[in-house]
Amino acid sequence: MNAHVGFWQSRKKWVLAAVALPLLVAAWWAFRPEKLWINQKVSEPAPFASGADPQPLYTGRLEGTAHQTSGRATIYRSPDGRQYLRLTDFSTSNGPDVHVLLARSDDTNLLREIVKGQLDSVELGSLKGNDGDQNYDVPATVDLHKYNAAVVYCERFHAIFGLARLEQF
Amino acid sequence: MVRTRKTLLTLATLAFAFGASVYAQDSMKQDGMKQDSMKQEAKPKTLATGTFHGKVHNTSGRATIYQQPDGKLVLRLTNFKTSNGPDVHVILVAAKDADDDANFLKSSTERVELGSLKGNQGDQNYEIPSNTDLSKFKTVSIYCERFNANFGAAPLEKF
Repeated sequence: MNAHVGFWQSRKKWVLAAVALPLLVAAWWAFRPEKLWINQKVSEPAPFASGADPQPLYTGRLEGTAHQTSGRATIYRSPDGRQYLRLTDFSTSNGPDVHVLLARSDDTNLLREIVKGQLDSVELGSLKGNDGDQNYDVPATVDLHKYNAAVVYCERFHAIFGLARLEQF
Repeated sequence: MVRTRKTLLTLATLAFAFGASVYAQDSMKQDGMKQDSMKQEAKPKTLATGTFHGKVHNTSGRATIYQQPDGKLVLRLTNFKTSNGPDVHVILVAAKDADDDANFLKSSTERVELGSLKGNQGDQNYEIPSNTDLSKFKTVSIYCERFNANFGAAPLEKF
């Protein structure tokens, strides 16, 4: 009798199966490889009613560039469709002719303290105060995907006091 | 005599100007949150937020902790996406941030269990035990318990 055939005809295959099957099951249970291509999607509503409140669209932390600046910048949309930028826990140094702008976060000028030439930006207004919470209306026509950085900017010296790169809320 | 008086007058003027400017600074108004609705009902507060990072198991989205009017804390994940996996949990860890595949068991990082991951995609909410010290547990981790692997982490910062 051939040894090979003998193996397959003997009880050994049942022993092998008895060992291998639980091992395979254990390995499947541990790694659950099918989950690599099976997604489990959920979509829970917010744990509170929020229809009547302004909704945050984008947010980011402010970081100082030319001057120490801190706080959070958030763009909200009111229920009536108006958009505004709100600075909270905000603090920067006081200065002359300081403005709040929206700029492009990929603009290399934002890596500098002093802007060379003209900064591609949307003007939101003069800085109301160098300390504290404040709101600035954002024109409805602004493309927030493009102008996705809030900048505290001194027009007189073209100095970037600080900026926040905004990310989707 | 005339000179002294002039000096005094100048000093007084300067002092007044300084005082006035300080007063102007102090009276700087703080903008309130814009409210279009007139009714003032109790609202949830946004306490902290952050975005997920994770490269080994591509993880992205935002984690935000809200406080309900009744004081309950809720973690909400939005625009969330991670890889599916076995025995994945959502935990808060007592760390500023966490690297890919960080092993919190080995590093014996303190953690708060929030439950099994409900889905690897989409918006979802998790209750946070009310006695959780959020100034200590500052990072959300998507953690695979079985392999002690950090799929992704979101360091939270004050909103």
